[in-house]
Amino acid sequence: MPETLIFYLLSGLAILTSALVIGQRNPMYSVMLLIASFGALAGLYVTLDAPFVAVAQIIIYAGAIMVLFLFVVMLLNAPHEDGAEWDRAHPLRQPGVGRFGALLALLLVVQLAWALLRTGSVDVPVTGAVDAETISSVRLVGRTLFTDYVFAFEATSILILVAMVGAVVLAHREGDRG
Amino acid sequence: MFHSSFDAVVPMLCVALAALAVMGAEAFRSRGETMPVGGLGIVGLIGAAVSSALLWNRNAISFGVIVADNFALFVTITLVIVGILTIMFSSPVVKRDGLPKGDFYALILFSIVGMMMMASANDLLVIFIGLEIMSIAVYVLTGIRRDDPRATEAAFKYFLLGAFSSAFFLYGIAFTYGLAGTTRLDRIGAFLAAQSMSDNRLILVALGLLLVGFAFKISAVPFHMWTPDAYEGAPAIVTGFMSTGVKAAAFAAFARVFLSAFEPFSGEWAPIVWWIAVATMILGTVVGVAQSNLKRMLAYSSIAHGGYLLVGLVAANQVGKAAILFYLLAYAVTNLAAFGVIALLGTKNAANDELRDYAGLWHSRPALAGLMTVCLLSLGGLPPTVGFIGKWYIFSAAVGAGYYGLAIIGVLTSVISVFFYLRVVVMMYMSDQPATVVFPPVSTVGMAALVASIVVILALGILPTPVLNLAAESIATIF
Amino acid sequence: MLALIPLFPFIGFLINATMGRRLSKGLSGAVACAAIIASFAVAVMSVLQIAGMPADARVLEQVVYTWIASGDLSLDMTFRLDPLGAVMILVITGIGSLIHIYSTAYMHDEIDSEFARYFSYLNLFAAFMLVLVLGANFVVMFVGWEGVGLCSYLLIGFWFKKQSASDAGKKAFVVNRIGDYAFVLGMLFLFTQFGTLDFARLATIASAMPVEEGVFGAISIATLLLFIGATGKSAQIPLYTWLPDAMEGPTPVSALIHAATMVTAGVYMIGRNAVLFSHAPETLFIVAVIGAATALMAGTIGLVQNDIKRVLAYSTVSQLGLMFLAMGVGAFGAGIFHLYTHAFFKALLFLGSGAVIHALHGEQDIRNMGGLKKFLPVTYWTFLIGSLAIAGVPFLSGFFSKDEILYETFHEGHTMLWLVGAITSFLTATYMFRLVFLTFHGERKGSGIGDQGSGHDHGHADPGSLIPDPGHAHGSHLHDAPPAMALALIVLAIGSVLAGYIGVPHALGGHNQLAAWLAPSFQASAAAPGVGGGAELFPQAEAAEEAEVISEEEAALELTLMGVSSAIAIGGILLAAFIWLKRRSIADGMAHRFGGLHRLLLNKYYVDEMYDATVVNPIHVVSRDALWRGFDVRVVDGAVNGTAAIVAAGSNLLRRLQTGSVRAYASSMFVGVVVILGYYLWR
Repeated sequence: MPETLIFYLLSGLAILTSALVIGQRNPMYSVMLLIASFGALAGLYVTLDAPFVAVAQIIIYAGAIMVLFLFVVMLLNAPHEDGAEWDRAHPLRQPGVGRFGALLALLLVVQLAWALLRTGSVDVPVTGAVDAETISSVRLVGRTLFTDYVFAFEATSILILVAMVGAVVLAHREGDRG
Repeated sequence: MFHSSFDAVVPMLCVALAALAVMGAEAFRSRGETMPVGGLGIVGLIGAAVSSALLWNRNAISFGVIVADNFALFVTITLVIVGILTIMFSSPVVKRDGLPKGDFYALILFSIVGMMMMASANDLLVIFIGLEIMSIAVYVLTGIRRDDPRATEAAFKYFLLGAFSSAFFLYGIAFTYGLAGTTRLDRIGAFLAAQSMSDNRLILVALGLLLVGFAFKISAVPFHMWTPDAYEGAPAIVTGFMSTGVKAAAFAAFARVFLSAFEPFSGEWAPIVWWIAVATMILGTVVGVAQSNLKRMLAYSSIAHGGYLLVGLVAANQVGKAAILFYLLAYAVTNLAAFGVIALLGTKNAANDELRDYAGLWHSRPALAGLMTVCLLSLGGLPPTVGFIGKWYIFSAAVGAGYYGLAIIGVLTSVISVFFYLRVVVMMYMSDQPATVVFPPVSTVGMAALVASIVVILALGILPTPVLNLAAESIATIF
Repeated sequence: MLALIPLFPFIGFLINATMGRRLSKGLSGAVACAAIIASFAVAVMSVLQIAGMPADARVLEQVVYTWIASGDLSLDMTFRLDPLGAVMILVITGIGSLIHIYSTAYMHDEIDSEFARYFSYLNLFAAFMLVLVLGANFVVMFVGWEGVGLCSYLLIGFWFKKQSASDAGKKAFVVNRIGDYAFVLGMLFLFTQFGTLDFARLATIASAMPVEEGVFGAISIATLLLFIGATGKSAQIPLYTWLPDAMEGPTPVSALIHAATMVTAGVYMIGRNAVLFSHAPETLFIVAVIGAATALMAGTIGLVQNDIKRVLAYSTVSQLGLMFLAMGVGAFGAGIFHLYTHAFFKALLFLGSGAVIHALHGEQDIRNMGGLKKFLPVTYWTFLIGSLAIAGVPFLSGFFSKDEILYETFHEGHTMLWLVGAITSFLTATYMFRLVFLTFHGERKGSGIGDQGSGHDHGHADPGSLIPDPGHAHGSHLHDAPPAMALALIVLAIGSVLAGYIGVPHALGGHNQLAAWLAPSFQASAAAPGVGGGAELFPQAEAAEEAEVISEEEAALELTLMGVSSAIAIGGILLAAFIWLKRRSIADGMAHRFGGLHRLLLNKYYVDEMYDATVVNPIHVVSRDALWRGFDVRVVDGAVNGTAAIVAAGSNLLRRLQTGSVRAYASSMFVGVVVILGYYLWR
């Protein structure tokens, strides 16, 4: 029972903070709220007996990536969007399209919820030995990553390389090269 | 697991190494020196083609997730052709527009690696990674002309919407994994076959979300909205590349996922794809008629061609599956050549891609006008070009599978579509050249690529049998 | 060897298309003419070869190669020459050669590159037309079918500077696409039903099936679709509107493509599939009715038109209607016979009108002509022969073929259709002689030469052609046709007189060799394995077999009908002579008295306007205004088109994204997602 309670608490927190991220005028607040959201997610991973993922979530997302975000925001010195502009441009205040999008999002949530509720328990065929000890072990994660998922793992390096090349191409200023 | 062979990844490895070589060559060249980076890329692509030919009929599997069956190899070779033609068409364009040479070719090659991965992956996760490699490279290529605000805007739109669609796709993978406990297509197929009787709506949700992800990449209605903007904004040769390569890879993965893993649920997805195909064919054709910009017109035309390919997917009989492969090849060569002509005729400051710019092309550039005519006739599906054989094959598959409605609408739209292709032909032959348009001289490499594509278009139109047989062979071993 | 027949003109096309710009006019004209004449020579040799074979085995086949052979899909690139094809290739290459020769003089005012362009199109057309008739299966035929359409389109719009010419080209194209659509569907349908598209095999399969009397089965559906395709190509109701507009093309083109050859492709296609069509009486009846209705309607319109070429165009539509009537009543031989004679005299008439237009520097309005008889004697006499032939005056070619159609129609019991045909004949005689009298007789109108020449047909493309050529009819009097044109006119005139004598009916003591010659083409090949008869379905075959045993009553009936139609023809000519030679005021008076009818006819029953209102405009609105403007562009316009003005980086870009398109695009996708999931969940 307490597990269920914690689950709802954490997931509620994650949803709430995520929603607030897009509702802030100050980008700094948005980043902070996003960190909070990641924290809540990490908590969820812990309850799912996946401490390694939880730790990785905190270190990589809430830590490294968000720090980078903060730097970018501060370096750009993004101004607080002024109130009038914000009120005018906010999606939810736009006639038509913006509100329509919100409605669609709501519909999608309802659909997914409905589908999940209608589907009873599904027998998930889980591969490999499952017990509380092994599932949480870093060793198993590593082993899976370098056996079953080794190709995906390696392919990701190309993905990252492409993203870097792309960032350089789009960001470099004219005349940087001879 | 560990003594798995590397054979199946050799084709994409060749291309990836070529891409790295291109980057290295550019990075270490001294100032003022020019590197034959395009040539390096072509060498890598030829390596991929040769290794694919050697792997033919061997059904090699590497790491359990990359399968080099004939289906994958056929698509791989199609992608190699796309790559080689793109590089050849690009060489004058890169010089003319002052694009970053090394980065440009490296991105082309990397995105081909992603495409090959999608075509041969037997795992949803790998398909997704391939899709992202391909997409990110293409987003950047779209906006590679940074001095052109249209290109920047197109890239940004494409990126945002692409990310949006990736989210749905990933959501679909997540649901599938949640249900089946695996991302391997063969295991998902086995799981779904056992489930096919139960009324499990969650499977359908997963199915629908995956469908959306693929539909975006093949720009099927109503997920097509990005296409005209992105195609118009991107440099012409990049447009050619993404309208053929991206579509071929996405279709290959689409076909593999839906015809193998989700085959037990074909009764569920076929009706939806039916409607998408109809909407795609009609919208692409009807809106195409009203366009006055050549790139935009070809964008709608490529939407419509996606619809014809979907017809083959819905029909899903032996003929239909083979028809998809053949049509992909036919369409890729034809469309790329058409965009190649546009690319060769543009200048740094003027794209020359309005329909009226082509008025009287016959008088100033007779060879290009003639070659463009063949491309357009092939796109319109007129005999004796490859486009006719492709369409004939697709529609006879649809009729053979009992989808008369699809065939009727398909033939109707392709009949209408000839109208706008011929409008260009008429413009080229039947008007005097306005003094304002100045076409650049055409490079030898570009011309060679163009002639090669035209030879393929006509040869496959006149002697299609060997390739048709290859396509039929490609689908015989799987599905 | 058969492949050579289309190959020669194709080589001619390649030469003129690639090198024509550098060739002189004389050379490119010579190349084109040599190509088609070589093709004619091979055609004659091939026909002689099959003529030497026994009557039921007159087939020459050449499998060029296997086009598609994959799985159960098998298709050969095969050419096949049989008696029907023989008639067609002789007409195409023979009359084609004459028209090529004629064109060298007619198009002489064009600059070199335009001249070469013209001849490359003309040669390409001939190549495709020959593929069309020699093709042994539907797909090869379709290659030609599409190809001739393309060439026709290019040639109609040849003088693209004229808005009306490019519009006409567009219209021809659109209307033909509708027909082609049905044709492709018919092909696909046949393929799925019978598993083959080879004409001989289809005939064999169909002949083993019961005749679909009173039911609308597979064969009926397929043949109906094919017939709709034929109405597009052969300008029948409801798809005839493009042909009169097609007269915007150069006149030799009108003669070759829009009178003698391409427009008869539909008739030929039905003849080629005679077995299929005979198994679908319901379709055949529709064919007959449409043919008769078209013949009558076009005949009435032809009566009041004032453009010399338009009168001939409506006359073509009308004569094609008669051919379809013949096909529809099962008289395939008669239909092809008329196709063959019509090719001679209609080509002659068009070339004659071309000579007139050429002499008058582009004048096409017959109200501004008159009295040309003494200026253009060759043109006059040949034109007169053509008119007599088409009117059906006894013992000229048109008489025999038209009479056979009317006789077969009556004989098959379609009295009403016969009546329509007879009225059409009367109208034909009348409007043709109205044309002759207004053009060549009476007094010369329009004082100067070329003063009315509004650049209708000539004096177009290049400024050079507007500069008078001293040796070229800009002197004080009109010049008759130059030698190349005169040659074509005279040969065709001889043909128009004599062509009918290969089909003299038995009632007149002839042997109707043509019907006997064609008969094997209209039945399932006896040579095909496992096929018995099928001959009992064909009146022609019957006629051929029982050639000499034609009964007394039938002969009497035929003679009677012949008398009637001769009387009709001569009556029509006399009426025209009375009105337009003696009392021209009658014509004006009638036009005045029946003002409404006259306007209706002058405006071609307002069919074009009707199509515009009901079909063309709605499509336009849907495509441009609803789907594109409303659905795709409205959201784009602000963004993409405004971009050039807002040349800036990040902030502006983001702002623009906020004001529109991306969000709309995402919404569209989102709707798609929700709808698809909704379908699955609430289904």
